[in-house]
Amino acid sequence: MSEKIVVGMSGGVDSAVSALLLKEKGFDVECVFMKNWEEDSEYCTTEQDYKDALMASEYLDLPLRTVNFTHEYKDRVFNLFLKEYAAGRTPNPDTLCNKEIKFKAFLEYALALGANRIATGHYAKIERTNGSINLLKGADKKKDQSYFLYMLNKHQLDKAIFPLGDVTKKDVRTIAKERGLPNYNRKDSTGVCFIGERDFKEFLLQYFKLNPGDIVTDDNKIVGRHDGLTFYTLGQRQGLGIGGGYGFKEEPWYVVNKDIENNKLIVVQGHDHPALFHKELIINNLHWVSGKCPEKTELSAKIRYRQRDKKCTIIKCNKNELIVEFEEPQFAVTPGQATVFYDGDICLGGGKIKSRN
Amino acid sequence: MHYFDHSATTPLHPQVKNLMDEVGELHFGNPSSVHSFGRKARALIETARKQMATAIGCKPQEIIFTSGGTETNNLVLWDVARSDKKHVVTSVIEHPAILKTLENLSDFGVTFTSVGVDEKGLVDPQDVENAITDETGLISIMLANNEVGTIQPITDISAIAKQHSIMLHSDAVQALGKIPINVKELGVDCMSFSAHKFYGPKGVGALFIKNGIKLKPLIYGGSQERAMRAGTENTIGVTGMGLAAELAAKNVVTSADHFHSLTETFKKQLKKILPNAVYHGHPNHHLPGLISVSFPGYRNDLLMAHLDRRGIAVSSGSACSSGDVKPSKILSAMNVDDDLNICTLRISFGLGNTLEEVTILTKAINSSLEQIRSAA
Repeated sequence: MSEKIVVGMSGGVDSAVSALLLKEKGFDVECVFMKNWEEDSEYCTTEQDYKDALMASEYLDLPLRTVNFTHEYKDRVFNLFLKEYAAGRTPNPDTLCNKEIKFKAFLEYALALGANRIATGHYAKIERTNGSINLLKGADKKKDQSYFLYMLNKHQLDKAIFPLGDVTKKDVRTIAKERGLPNYNRKDSTGVCFIGERDFKEFLLQYFKLNPGDIVTDDNKIVGRHDGLTFYTLGQRQGLGIGGGYGFKEEPWYVVNKDIENNKLIVVQGHDHPALFHKELIINNLHWVSGKCPEKTELSAKIRYRQRDKKCTIIKCNKNELIVEFEEPQFAVTPGQATVFYDGDICLGGGKIKSRN
Repeated sequence: MHYFDHSATTPLHPQVKNLMDEVGELHFGNPSSVHSFGRKARALIETARKQMATAIGCKPQEIIFTSGGTETNNLVLWDVARSDKKHVVTSVIEHPAILKTLENLSDFGVTFTSVGVDEKGLVDPQDVENAITDETGLISIMLANNEVGTIQPITDISAIAKQHSIMLHSDAVQALGKIPINVKELGVDCMSFSAHKFYGPKGVGALFIKNGIKLKPLIYGGSQERAMRAGTENTIGVTGMGLAAELAAKNVVTSADHFHSLTETFKKQLKKILPNAVYHGHPNHHLPGLISVSFPGYRNDLLMAHLDRRGIAVSSGSACSSGDVKPSKILSAMNVDDDLNICTLRISFGLGNTLEEVTILTKAINSSLEQIRSAA
C-alpha cells in the first residue's frame, strides 16, 4: 500500500499543485480544508476558499475533508497575538499558527485519519540525512517561507512533506495552468487570513480602545497626537499625521520607540536617523529545529520576512535567551517579530525579539 | 456507497422522476395561457396542489407553491414586517431560514423573542405564552427539529395562539413523510414544506395558508398563486412535489415502521461497539429514522471523514454551505456540553435503506473508531 499523505488544502494554487504533485508520485492523497477563523466577511473569505478547495480536489479526483480549528486557533494563536499587541509589541501570528495549528492540531488530525505524513504548500525543503533532519530554504529564494516555519521541531518536520520545495512560484503557476486546475490564476492571499487586506488599524480597533497621547521627538518636543500605542509599529512612516511646521527638513517622520509608561509615541525624522538602527538584539522564546543552540556562531539572520539574510554573530546563547550582533546596523528592529537564523540555506530556528541595544 | 443523510436531502422517488421527465418533455406550456398547451400545464399544477392539500389535510386553495422551505418561511416573516404588530415569538432551535430572517428584519422594526428548549429539545408552551406581548403578531415554532428530531407540542401552542388571537406558523420541512400531518388538527394558520425532503425535487416548496388569511407577497409581478407569489409556475417542480407529497402521506405509517426497525437495529449494534454512546432528542416525541448520537472522545469531523472514506454519508448536524463543522447551537441549547457536542453525528435513514446497510454502517463505525484509537 502506498504511503498516505494528507494535504492541507487552502483553496489556493500552492496547495492544489502540492496535491497534484503528490498524487502523480503515487502517494495515497487526501485533502483537508482547515477552518481557523469563524468570521466570514469581505476580508476573510472562508466560504469562497472552501469552494475553490473543493473544485480543485474534485478536479484532481481526491477526497476533501473539512476540519474546524477555530477554537484551537483562538486559544493558542489569536489570544497570544492580542496579548503581544497589548504589550506594545508586533507579533507574527503565522509562525505560531504553523507551530500550533498546521503542524500540531492538523498533524494530529491527519494522523488520526490514518495518514503517515502531512503536506503543505510551503516553499521550503526538508532534508533527511543520516538520522538528522534539517529545514532548508525553498528553491524559489524570493518566495522562501522557511522564516514562518522556524518554530517547528524535528518531530514535526519528520511528519511533513513540502512538495513545492524544489520549484518556483512561476513553475507552480505553469503546472496549474497546463494541468487545467480550476484555481490556476487565483490571486495569492496576502497577509493573515483573519486580517485580510483591510486597514490594520481598523482591525485592531475591534479589540483595543483608542488611547490618544502625544507624539514626541527623541528630545521630547511634541509634534502631534497618536490614537494609542497599540496601533503603531516601529519603523512606521505612514499615518502619523505630523504636519508641516515641525523639523527642519522635508524628510518624513518614523516611529522609533514607544514610551508605554507615559503613553508617548517617539518619532525621529529621516530614514537614516541613527536612532532607527541597531546592531545588537536580545532574542527570547527560542526554538531550534535541532533542539539546542547552534554550535556555529557566525551565521546570518532575518529580522522580518521580506528581507535578505544579514550577517551576524551569536554572542551568547542559553536555553531562554540569546544576544546577537549584526555586522551592519539593522533598520527598525521590532520587538515581538521573529528573528530567524540561517547557516547558508539551513534554517536553524530563532526566537522573538525582546529588545535591542 | 451508503447514504444516511436524508434529513439533509433525499433522492427523487423514481415515480416522481418519471413524471417530471414526462412533464419536462411534453408539457412546457405557460400555465397562464388559455390555449391547450397552457391548459394542460395548469391542470398539472392544480393536480399537484390537490395532492399537496390532501397530504396535509387542507383545501387546494390553501396551498401556495414557492421555491422552497426558505422562501416559504421568508414569505410568512416578511409579512410581519409590513403589519402593525411586529413582535414574533419563536424558539432557539429554529432553522436559520427563520432565525436569520428575523435578525435581519430588525431593520424593518421586527423584534422577536426566542424561547429555549429543555434537554430533550422540547419547547414548553408555557414559555411561548409568557413571551407574548401586546405587540406579538406571529408565533413561529417548528413542527420537528432537523438536528435532533424532537417533535414540538404544536397543538398546545395552537390553543395558546388562538386564545391570544395570534397567527401561528410552523416550519414542517423535516416532518412531512415521517409523521402524519393534518394542519387542521394541529391548528396552525400557516405551515412550510420543502419537496426535496420527501423525495421530491429541490427548488420547490409550499406554504399552507388558512383560508381567509392573506400575506403580502415577497415577489411582485403577475397574479400567480393567488397574487401571493408572482412568477410563471415551475410546472416540472410543482408536479414532482405534488406526487412526492401524495406518496409521502400515503406511505407514512409503513415507512415509520421501516424507520423504527432500522433505528432499533442500529442502537442494538452500536451498544456492543460503544456502550457509552449518548443519544439526543425526545424518546417519544421524535421523528422516526433520525438519530442524533454522540461518540464521546471522537470528534465528529474526524469520524465523518473516516466514514466518508468507507463510502458512508452521515452528517454532523445541519448541512452548511461552507462544509463547516462546529458545535451545534441546537445541542448547546439542549444543554449538551461542548466536548460531547463536537462528537455528535446525525444519522437520518431513508426509505431505500435496508437492515443490511445498518450493519454495514455500524461495522464502518467500529473500524473507524478502532483506527482512530490506534493512531492516538
